[in-house]
Amino acid sequence: MDIIKILENTLSALFGIDAAYFALAAIGLNIQFGYTGLLNFGQAAFMACGAYGFGMTSQYFGVGMWWGILIGLVFVVILGLLVGIPTLRLRADYLAIVTIAAAEIVRLVVRSVEFKKYFGGSDGINSFSKSFRDLSPFDPAGKYGIRPFQYSGYSFWTIIVGWSLVALFSFMVYMLMKSPWGRVVKAIREDEDAVRSLGKNVYSYKMQSLIIGGVIGMFSGMIFALDRGSVQPDNYSRDVTFYVLTALVLGGVAKVRGSVVGPMMFWAIYVFSDNFLRELTKDKPFEIFGFGLIQKSQVGPVNYMLIGLGLMLLMTFRPQGVFGSKEEMALDGR
Amino acid sequence: MCLTSTNHKIGDLVNNVVTARKQWVGLLKTLVVVAASVFAFSGAAQAEESEFSIVVSVQNQTIDDGVATKNPVVGVSISVTTATGSAVGEGITDASGIVTISVPSKDSYLVNIDLATLPDGITLIDENKTQAIIEKDSFTTNAKRVTFFAGSSTATGAPLFDRVVQRLVDGIRLGLIIAICSVGLSLIFGTTGLTNFAHGEMVTFGGLIAFWLNVLLGVPLLIAAPLVIALGGVFGLAMNAIIFAKLRKRGIGLISQLVVSVGLSIMLRNMYLYQFGGRTRPLDDFSLQVAKSFGPVSITMRDLTTAIISLIALVAVALYLQKSRTGKAIRAVSDNPNLASSTGIDTQKIIRIVWFAGGALAAMGGLFRGLDEQVGFEMGSGLIFLMFAGITLGGLGSAYGALVGGFLVGILVELASLVVPAELKNAPALFILIIVLVVRPQGILGRKQRVG
Repeated sequence: MDIIKILENTLSALFGIDAAYFALAAIGLNIQFGYTGLLNFGQAAFMACGAYGFGMTSQYFGVGMWWGILIGLVFVVILGLLVGIPTLRLRADYLAIVTIAAAEIVRLVVRSVEFKKYFGGSDGINSFSKSFRDLSPFDPAGKYGIRPFQYSGYSFWTIIVGWSLVALFSFMVYMLMKSPWGRVVKAIREDEDAVRSLGKNVYSYKMQSLIIGGVIGMFSGMIFALDRGSVQPDNYSRDVTFYVLTALVLGGVAKVRGSVVGPMMFWAIYVFSDNFLRELTKDKPFEIFGFGLIQKSQVGPVNYMLIGLGLMLLMTFRPQGVFGSKEEMALDGR
Repeated sequence: MCLTSTNHKIGDLVNNVVTARKQWVGLLKTLVVVAASVFAFSGAAQAEESEFSIVVSVQNQTIDDGVATKNPVVGVSISVTTATGSAVGEGITDASGIVTISVPSKDSYLVNIDLATLPDGITLIDENKTQAIIEKDSFTTNAKRVTFFAGSSTATGAPLFDRVVQRLVDGIRLGLIIAICSVGLSLIFGTTGLTNFAHGEMVTFGGLIAFWLNVLLGVPLLIAAPLVIALGGVFGLAMNAIIFAKLRKRGIGLISQLVVSVGLSIMLRNMYLYQFGGRTRPLDDFSLQVAKSFGPVSITMRDLTTAIISLIALVAVALYLQKSRTGKAIRAVSDNPNLASSTGIDTQKIIRIVWFAGGALAAMGGLFRGLDEQVGFEMGSGLIFLMFAGITLGGLGSAYGALVGGFLVGILVELASLVVPAELKNAPALFILIIVLVVRPQGILGRKQRVG
């Protein structure tokens, strides 16, 4: 077993692109779930909006990537209104049901043969990252950074852009939550009726929160798509939202640093467990007393099983995660 | 003053330590239970997947206005070669039109079909496509599926009326399954307030247990079915006892419980994937059926039987809720748990009954769904969204609402497939959901006070 390699991969995952795009999605989810108490289970769909907005512009309209952001924004607003209008007046779990359904439908629509000419079907869209690539100041063939934090030129560029966006949005959310707007949404989380009695339009604040969170999720989808150089419908399945949620809860809900450090820890743990199990089962299945427990092909499911178990245990025994405070958990029975 | 406050502090400290220890003991217990349950099943289902294989299926497909009917083609020779042309393996399709050819590694292969071995009168849809190319990267699981379609894809143009009737019958069948699966979901919501995202996994559980008994242990399905349903009930009870009863006792909020159920759903689904593997497989009994025609409608005897049994089960559930003492108690707890418990109803017992019944019905739904389609690790999570649409339409928390709503959603989804492409036939369910929530958020049978 190559322990050094596993540890190197784990360390590198802390600052890798996966942690960056998860952090962006988690920052968005944190505004909705952590600060406002909205159960958005469709963050993956908002991410898909960004990725597809980006992909479609360069693929079909032949215009620059800045237009992609604009189209992504339009998608996000449409989706936000579609799921928000019917549910934001109702109890929290309705939003959860509708967003999860909407996310599934978005995925089905973009991967369908029917709309293949717009979204590329199950192959997705593959050639759109050139204009972003051209902006890169780094030599694509070169190696940057020091081991274990060493990346090729293009990865280094997406990582830098990704983490810059994380920093930018973290700062934005931090300031936002100190502002009167932030106080209102936090108050909505605590007691909606009290806020309403002060003459605030709760519905409108919730909608704003949903869409702002969605927009940050959109950037997450874009960074992910740019890094992979392709947009694949199955990368935006509903489980992605739940993994982001797990990462957020791990870091600490309703805390800016929770939404950034949580995804970093999530990916470090995930990469460690994945690498470890793969090393363990590389030559022969992992056995206890001759009873084969984990075969090579089962490493994936075992990892995700652990994520699910982790989410359950976190919610039960430490709902505030690493950085959160128990007082700020919006998780009463509304 | 000072002394007492110090005493208090020490007391708090001791309390904290004690609660912390309790937490860890609880945590360990949970872990042990979970670990035991993961590995308790034998790995039998998995054994054959340890190698890479190519699963080739030859289907005779007739497409009638977008609705594909597939019949397996038996006895077709298939051969697999490497990309450079050297032979790797060959085989002949079995009764389900499938042949599994194992390959040494994840690599690029060519799959060839021998046209001469096709039965008389059957030709490939695309006659030039006698070879499928498999890329190395397309092995997402250890088994790569390839399907050759024979038959014609021109619409036969059945009259609109006939098509609507056929869809309607299919819709009733789907609706009955959704209704059966979602009764438990709705009752659990009504009695405990929990929106259980892991309910789909309870459905899958039924399908997989049926597969385990019927295919791996060779128990006839008619004997296995009651066992499946009973085990489903026990599974529901266990879910409540190990997880949700504990959470309620700790006073954990409903939204937290919801998130826990999401975690549970992820965990269970991957447990199934771990045990069962990624492909879908048919049950042994009743898997080959010939459709009978009743006027414009064609339905297999199996599907007709499951539909009738589902209907009987639903009527029984409704009567039970309406007439029996326990049923009345369930409705009382559903309406107002506090009031019910102050009239002397044992709420916890009712909740246990509801979990048992919900699990049993979900397992039954899973069994029928497994007969109808095939058994797979995601069969329930694909339904959960239709179940949510159903119980929202019917009225969240109302038992009859789940019956009515699930039934209607099934019919609407099937009817919608007349106009919507088959891949997107679940999409109208979202629109139902949205329209219901805008127009009448309490659903058809729900009462207004529940909402908001």
